[in-house]
Amino acid sequence: MLAELAEVRKAFDQALAAAGQDPRKLEEVRVQFAGRRAGVLRKLEEKLAALPREEKPAFGKGLNELKRYIEEQLAKAASKAQALEAREEREDVTLPGRKPPLGALHPVTLVRRQIEEIFLRMGYSVADGPEIEDDWHNFEALNIPPDHPARDTQDTFYLPGGWLLRTHTSPVQIRTMERYKPPIRVIIPGRVYRRDSDLRHSPMFHQVEGLVVDEGISFAHLKATLEAFLHRLFDPSLKVRLRPSFFPFTEPSAEVDITCVMCRGGGCAVCSGSGWVEILGAGMVDPRVFRAVGIDPKRYTGFAFGLGLDRVAMLAYHIPDLRLLFSGDERLARQFPGGLAR
Amino acid sequence: MKALYSWIASHLASPLPPAELAARLVAVGLNVELREPFGDDEVWEVDVTTNRPDCLSHRGLAREAAAAGGGELKPLAVAVREGTTPVGLLARVTVEDQEGCARYCARVIRGVQVRPSPAWLAQRLVACGIRPINNVVDATNYVLLDLGHPLHAFDLAKLAGGEVRVRRARPGERLVTLDGVERVLSGEDLVIADREKPVALAGIMGGANSEITQGTTDVLLESAWFDPVRVRRTRRRLGLDTEASRRFERGADRAMARLAVDAVAQLIQELAGGEVAVGVLDSAPELPAPKTVPLPLARLAAFAGCEIPEAFVRELLRRLEIPFSEGDGVLLCQVPSHRVDLELAEDLFEEVLRHWGYDRIPAVLPPTSGGPGERRGSFPVTDRARDVAQALGLAEVITYAFVPREVEEAFAGSPLVAKGEPVALENPLSARMAVMRRTLWSGFAEAAAANLRRGAERVQLFEVGRVFFAQGGRLWEEERLAAVLAGEVGPWDSRRRVDFFDLKGLAEALAEGLGLAELAWEPWEEPLAPGCGAVAKVGDAVVGVLGRLGNRCAALFDAPRPLWVLELLLEEGRSFPQPTFAELPRFPAVVADLTVRHPESLPYAALVAACRQFAPAILERVEPVVRYRGEKVGPGEVKTTLRLTYRHPERSLTQEEVNAAHFALMEKLASSLGVAFT
Repeated sequence: MLAELAEVRKAFDQALAAAGQDPRKLEEVRVQFAGRRAGVLRKLEEKLAALPREEKPAFGKGLNELKRYIEEQLAKAASKAQALEAREEREDVTLPGRKPPLGALHPVTLVRRQIEEIFLRMGYSVADGPEIEDDWHNFEALNIPPDHPARDTQDTFYLPGGWLLRTHTSPVQIRTMERYKPPIRVIIPGRVYRRDSDLRHSPMFHQVEGLVVDEGISFAHLKATLEAFLHRLFDPSLKVRLRPSFFPFTEPSAEVDITCVMCRGGGCAVCSGSGWVEILGAGMVDPRVFRAVGIDPKRYTGFAFGLGLDRVAMLAYHIPDLRLLFSGDERLARQFPGGLAR
Repeated sequence: MKALYSWIASHLASPLPPAELAARLVAVGLNVELREPFGDDEVWEVDVTTNRPDCLSHRGLAREAAAAGGGELKPLAVAVREGTTPVGLLARVTVEDQEGCARYCARVIRGVQVRPSPAWLAQRLVACGIRPINNVVDATNYVLLDLGHPLHAFDLAKLAGGEVRVRRARPGERLVTLDGVERVLSGEDLVIADREKPVALAGIMGGANSEITQGTTDVLLESAWFDPVRVRRTRRRLGLDTEASRRFERGADRAMARLAVDAVAQLIQELAGGEVAVGVLDSAPELPAPKTVPLPLARLAAFAGCEIPEAFVRELLRRLEIPFSEGDGVLLCQVPSHRVDLELAEDLFEEVLRHWGYDRIPAVLPPTSGGPGERRGSFPVTDRARDVAQALGLAEVITYAFVPREVEEAFAGSPLVAKGEPVALENPLSARMAVMRRTLWSGFAEAAAANLRRGAERVQLFEVGRVFFAQGGRLWEEERLAAVLAGEVGPWDSRRRVDFFDLKGLAEALAEGLGLAELAWEPWEEPLAPGCGAVAKVGDAVVGVLGRLGNRCAALFDAPRPLWVLELLLEEGRSFPQPTFAELPRFPAVVADLTVRHPESLPYAALVAACRQFAPAILERVEPVVRYRGEKVGPGEVKTTLRLTYRHPERSLTQEEVNAAHFALMEKLASSLGVAFT
């Protein structure tokens, strides 16, 4: 009987030696010998219970010794294995990780998408048109006939064959009205070109225009739409101001100012001390434009507005120089990986 | 225009003080951009929009100020003290080109004494940016600034035959203008001539040959109405922008022509003495009847989105000097000749709205109509391209679409560039912006090189934008996606130089994100470095080009390290179908590696194609594991280890059947491609 206990002890010693310091194998050894349900020790306990009374004390004593031995040995092996693991995987957690690069969108793309989201939620579509345009869509249909003084303010790049690079996104208003019947609600982001280059002008820049045509559209609608848009884009606490102005394709026209986003109206370099920054141009669609595209100006009215995406990006991200936007400088490009916090 | 506060105020009874008057003008759309002290007066810089030439004068600004509640406009009183000689005996006016000149008024004043103007007058001119010359010329400029009508004074003795003819210039005819420049004229130009020669460019500038000088005694005063388009064309052709041309181009006031000539004659007489001849030589004293434009009151309210009291509208029209009569719910407005901008009811709505005040109109959101919005045109595909590129860690840049011709042409070897000719600008800003790009690389490579020159160790950029082509008179544009890798890749503890497969992997991921079908890759050289370039095809169509820029291109950009570039087509209208779920495999796969020794000339794609061709349908996937070049293979040979994954959709495969398929495949590869497996 006691010989059996000695054999178990021997088998345990061998199994433990074979397991080495592998935690998985050590666990197997533990289950095999000390497992609660089917371990060898459990079986021996059952045997003890079945023994005649006189044999119990000797066997019980031997079994208890064996039990203590096995538990001690297992605990020793486990702590050894743990100590070894800790030694093997001790990392300097302050070293940087192998970080995959985070991509980034251009500030102009970020503000464009933000503006698109605002208007998509108000039921507008986002439209697109060619950058190479004809005189009709870029000028004439917009009530800018040849030899009109307004052409001076939009120095145009001309291409062979009478084509030109669009000077604004407004030709897409014309294309939209030629193709779709009212009600129309659309915004038109895009790249435009003017023959102008200095500190504040780039020969290529970006605009977004909006156009709404329906029965009963009023100046009050224009005003509310612009306020809702600008409050969402910048800050609901900013004031919005409309000043009368002139554009050939709207009548009446307005220039729209907001409280300077830098100084909150206190006056700074960005707003030339006025506390206001001019942000967009707008107005009621001129009936001459409706006539050019075959929409009945007696039945329909509409409003249109336009703003410079580059300027919005500069204001939103505090970018001081327009030319930085087109410099291709990766240090700028990676500064805005997440866009504006909303 | 520059204006003096006191001068504006002189036209008003009980004018408001400067700050308040300026604020009134700003509120109605005449932006007073600058107010500068001028003695105890103020000089203002007023931004007058191109539709309001009537406001290019102190009288015009005063009229607007009065309408905006800044004072009461005084009536305009002009009285000329005439002598005894009828003007018809002294000069003759013939308008040969009626279309170019709808009205020509002339007066003659004899016996003037030309001398410097009195200080009060000279100072007013200086304040408004006009250099005083002598009392006669200064008087014409003074009346111009006062009433807005351009005037000109001729030395009558220098007009051959005492005659004025308004006619087209003869092609090649020459005239030295008052600025001392000899102008060669075209048949489109309108000139004032005497019996022999041109003496002025109509509506733009006088000629030196009829100039008022110290010795002038008799003066012919011109106050005319010239056609805006004709003046503009000549002004643009000659690049001669003057106070006169600016006003004629935008539209002068035909009625004012007569009033202005009286005003200037009176002023010259006061300043220089002399006798004003009796009467005016007027080519068209009858004015056309004023246009009647209706102002429908109900529509006004709908247009504004609020009620505007009728009393306000009537009082405003009175202050704007727009006479009207009552119709049925309509005010029938007779447009005065100084308001060239009023043609339609909406133009009158503008008058009412801007004077009522935009700030007093309520803000009301329009009712929704037309259902949800959508993204149209190229936005679905270009924005998807941006999202995929961003997800792959690239940073977006925007570069100019115009590039130097030689840069553009250096890329002509790319199959995506060779689709057409470059589009050249007819009036580029500089040679560095001469033609439109046919590839995004042309602007983009410079941006990448500039980043490297600034010391960037890794450059990973993308751009989405349009490229432009011309072919046989047709111009078109296409959307593209381009990316550039340069310098190093990899994390800090395993940095290495960018190579071809970094670039190709990026292209593959972009293509996958854009839903492009399986791409076929072929080697391509120009404008890429030999052996380091490729095109991607779908069927026969090239949809992408990538590789290391060749030396010829790289030299153009002074790039300190190689530039690895790719460009993909982005077709507008590409749709992105909703993906559907594919059943996940239920039975395990068996994987077997296969090392193939083969000539370097046998491309990997051919090896894979042969596997696909010869293996049974249980071959699920083939991928490369190792490509070996070196001592263990012969010259011109490589070893490629392929990992083949076998799987049956409906049951577990046995090792025996996989072995059988695998060995059968090896035999087929050996016999068809002549490859070995040792």
